[in-house]
Amino acid sequence: MNLAIVLVTAAVLALSIILRLAVTRSLQARERTGLAATATIQAIDIEAFRNLINPAEDDYLRRRLPPAQFRVVRRERLRAMAAYVQVAARNALVLVSVGEIALVSDDPRIAGAAQRVVNDALLLRRNTTVALARIYLALAWPNSDFAAVRVVDRYEQLSGTAMLLGRLQNPAVPVRLSALQ
Amino acid sequence: MLQAHSFLWHFLWVAPNVLLILLGVLMWRRNLQRQFPAFVAFAFLGAAEQLVLYAADLAPWVAAESFWRILWVCLLVEVVLKLSVIAEIFSHLCGSYSSIARLGKNVIRGVGVVLVFVAVGAASFAQRDNPYWLISGEHLLEQTIYLIESGVLLSIFLFAAYFHLAWSTKVFGISLGLAISACVHLATWAVMANDGLREQRNLLDFLNMATYQICVLLWLYYLLGPEKAPRASVVRLPEHNLEVLNHELERLIHQ
Repeated sequence: MNLAIVLVTAAVLALSIILRLAVTRSLQARERTGLAATATIQAIDIEAFRNLINPAEDDYLRRRLPPAQFRVVRRERLRAMAAYVQVAARNALVLVSVGEIALVSDDPRIAGAAQRVVNDALLLRRNTTVALARIYLALAWPNSDFAAVRVVDRYEQLSGTAMLLGRLQNPAVPVRLSALQ
Repeated sequence: MLQAHSFLWHFLWVAPNVLLILLGVLMWRRNLQRQFPAFVAFAFLGAAEQLVLYAADLAPWVAAESFWRILWVCLLVEVVLKLSVIAEIFSHLCGSYSSIARLGKNVIRGVGVVLVFVAVGAASFAQRDNPYWLISGEHLLEQTIYLIESGVLLSIFLFAAYFHLAWSTKVFGISLGLAISACVHLATWAVMANDGLREQRNLLDFLNMATYQICVLLWLYYLLGPEKAPRASVVRLPEHNLEVLNHELERLIHQ
């Protein structure tokens, strides 16, 4: 009977999660445009992020600092990295929402650009998840190597496709993502 | 009222399956069988098998052992149908997202394999509720199937939520109905397969049948209603954020 209690609890938990996600989805579908409008895209200092993930910088610090101090500095750098990656992940989700709304456009060029934005944003979201997992692992073992270059590259690619979508949606205002409307 | 062979019992066994066949016919007439072949097959075959079981339960010339054998066959057919519907849900959900389709497939496969092991483990530790293997085995198989089904459907919902994937109304309706049905059935069959509530089995049967009725009504609502698509013309990102992003983008272009 203990097994039955465990399985019933699991079933109730699963049902609650599914119903909660279903309600959230219904609200999002109703207010999707509103959500996209109010969502914020935060700026990311790519150069600073590149410096943070540069292995040469880590090697330099490893050579210069005593091991204990290196671990402290390395952990601080990893926490900063995590903060950048989390912002990139949030931006990816905002762009998924914006791209999905643009997908229903009658203009095939806009729909095509929106499809690319959505796919790039989803790839970025995936990469940020992997990167965050690696960062948290590296926090436990600060001496291990870490590289989040793919996140940066993907972010740059996503920026390019998002900009193209903005340009297609409003050719009068070139190179401005704010033309999304 | 909450007894086997009461009016409510007959209604809850027959009505959802008649409605499901009607749904299948209406979907066929709207050419939706091209879009959802597995679900339409599930609607026709799943409902037909339930009606066969109903007839077998009522027919005096069908022996108890024969009834349980028919139930086993129907259950195995249902497994195949439900797995096909889940695959169909997943292909509709991730089909247009080439960048994460493979990841999604691997995640769902991985979850499926883990769930098979968990379900087999749960079945092996279960307390048999009946000396006849044909009956207790069927209860354990029900528990196993619903454990895997609800776990896989939960992982699909979580995957979609994590990546903010857009569900089409119809796919969402199919998934929601199937998930509610799977979770409730998992709970009831877990109790039955582990010899719980021996005196209140009727209530569990009624809970299962009532849940199924609700799920069929959900499918009718979502599959025959209009598809709600977002409007493309009203999105505007906040200007001040875009200024910052534009600055970043221009800097990226020129570096």
